[in-house]
Amino acid sequence: MATRALLAAVSACPRRRMGIKSSTCSSSLQFQRQESRIIARSFSSYTNSSLPDISRLAETARISLTPAEIEECEPKIRQVIDWFGQLQQVDVNCVEPAIRAEMEGGNLREDAPQTFENRDSIRASIPSFDETYLKVPKVLNKE
Amino acid sequence: MLSTLQPPRSLTLLPFRRFHGSKTIASLASSSPTLDASSVSPPQSQILTTRRSLLSGETTASEIAKSYLSRIRLTEPQLKCFLHVSENVLKEAQEIDQRISRGEEVGPLAGVVIGVKDNICTEGMPSTAASRILEHYRPPFDATAVKKIKEMGGIVVGKTNMDEFGMGSTTEASAFQVTANPWDLTRVPGGSSGGSAAAVAANQCMVSLGSDTGGSVRQPASFCGVVGLKPTYGRVSRFGLMAYASSLDVIGCFGSTVADAGMLLHAVSGYDRFDSTSSKQDVPEFESQFLSMDSFESKPLKGVRVGLIRETLEEGVDSGVRSATQEAASHLEALGCLVTEVSLPSFSLGLPAYYVIASSESSSNLSRYDGVRYGNQVMADELNKLYDCSRGQGFGGEVKMRILMGTYALSAGYYDAYYKRAQQVRTLIRKDFKAALDHNDILISPAAPSAAYKIGEKKDDPLAMYAGDIMTVNVNLAGLPAIVLPCGLVEGGPSGLPVGLQMIGAAFDEETLLKVGHIFEQTLNGSGFVPPTLPNVA
Repeated sequence: MATRALLAAVSACPRRRMGIKSSTCSSSLQFQRQESRIIARSFSSYTNSSLPDISRLAETARISLTPAEIEECEPKIRQVIDWFGQLQQVDVNCVEPAIRAEMEGGNLREDAPQTFENRDSIRASIPSFDETYLKVPKVLNKE
Repeated sequence: MLSTLQPPRSLTLLPFRRFHGSKTIASLASSSPTLDASSVSPPQSQILTTRRSLLSGETTASEIAKSYLSRIRLTEPQLKCFLHVSENVLKEAQEIDQRISRGEEVGPLAGVVIGVKDNICTEGMPSTAASRILEHYRPPFDATAVKKIKEMGGIVVGKTNMDEFGMGSTTEASAFQVTANPWDLTRVPGGSSGGSAAAVAANQCMVSLGSDTGGSVRQPASFCGVVGLKPTYGRVSRFGLMAYASSLDVIGCFGSTVADAGMLLHAVSGYDRFDSTSSKQDVPEFESQFLSMDSFESKPLKGVRVGLIRETLEEGVDSGVRSATQEAASHLEALGCLVTEVSLPSFSLGLPAYYVIASSESSSNLSRYDGVRYGNQVMADELNKLYDCSRGQGFGGEVKMRILMGTYALSAGYYDAYYKRAQQVRTLIRKDFKAALDHNDILISPAAPSAAYKIGEKKDDPLAMYAGDIMTVNVNLAGLPAIVLPCGLVEGGPSGLPVGLQMIGAAFDEETLLKVGHIFEQTLNGSGFVPPTLPNVA
């Protein structure tokens, strides 16, 4: 089963074609997986810019987190973003970004509104509804 | 079209046991089913069996439906595959019986009992994506895939459990319940379409729909010993599929045979004006691929070029999985294939690129869940606080984490370093696949680096969990079709654990995958992969 062993293995693979520089190691994590008795070694920590400010991100994403939740997810998020950093090592000079798989294009329909028949069902899902309006509390601009 | 009884073949661990109504149907040609080694036959298509037995009057849709509902009632306390079981199953089955008795035509899926993953909208039935934020939500419309199933007479038996919003590889991230693997109740069924895979494995439904963004149909298919089919991006309309990562999501199919998965795919495929990314490419008649074994030549796959992806058999893959894959490659050779090793140099980059793209796109897609127009609302005295609290309390931990990671990757100053870069890596991956598929008809690899692991084993270690997706994510990045079918068993659980072989095809070439997969399956020694732990229902 793939664990950190696999992550360590794939990240250590020589990628000459990609022109990838060798990564620097920092912290290490160890655990032992009982079934196959493999000891997974640490994966390298890649270069990263400033670490994410979880509270600020949560505010941007409009998600409230309790202090306990922040404490729990902060190290995990940092770990994953750190791991994302290996993409910095890839030579992507002159490579076009692929927005998605090959597409045919031109599949847009006319921008003409159509009345949806089952409006009652939509209304039934709205938590706070008043005549033709969705009710929400007042908006207070902080900034 | 269906296989007849075959001459005696060697035993697998598991006898073939599929039940319809009050009859045991081991094979269509047999009227007195005795399940011993000498009458073991290749797995039968349940869709075709249902069609034949309904039209011949051998059984009725109501009898079939009752037996499935009964089996669901019996096995759900242990398995927990379903979040919701439809109240209309018997009514729909009766309607089909009435139409048949009046001599009216019924659709090709008439009476077929189908599970639908809970992130696919079903009108009037709860569709929650296994999230508290959508608890009790009933969509006002059917997803196009569901609409097509219903038009063809299929019966949606219920909504299956999944990782919340598709984010996960074990189904443990469901807000409501954890689904057990029918092969070993202490293990995960895989994810995120774990409920759909396990329900088919446990014969709670004949076929099911799932969704595949990074392997969410293929990996649970491998873990549960069923067939999982991921179509080309654009083959099946995504209208009504709750979006996770829009450039990667597809609706996929589970079945106990390649034929069933293929026929279900055919039913739900095709251009849809409600999905601007759906393709106008013709949908071939897949059913013609599912020939009876009698018509196979001695080397039925002669000349088919198969590329075994070298990077998928390196360190980190369980030895049992590696040998099952190599045996599968030998089996393909015996069928006439030319199997060579291919290399995809960008292979290992797929995993971080995938997670950057998926979390970025999900952070955007999940911004619609704000508690205002649908779903659970946490009232507050100010609008932003309403958003914060509704989302903070409605979303689970993994979902929140991915939204935050995506928010980071898309934020000013980091967009180029993360999201744009990941898209560039995606171009490299697509090029590698194209080059490999220019010289091969299909590529093969394991579906996952291991068989199913224990519930709770990876829950707190995100990177260990993500690492398990290494075999599958590149296919989504390239938008290609792939099928996973069980190819062997490894040690573990009461009677072994299934492992699946992944076959990857060129864009829109599901036909070749289904042809090769069907022949592989029908000629594999044994009669199918059926978990031994569950009781039979007569």
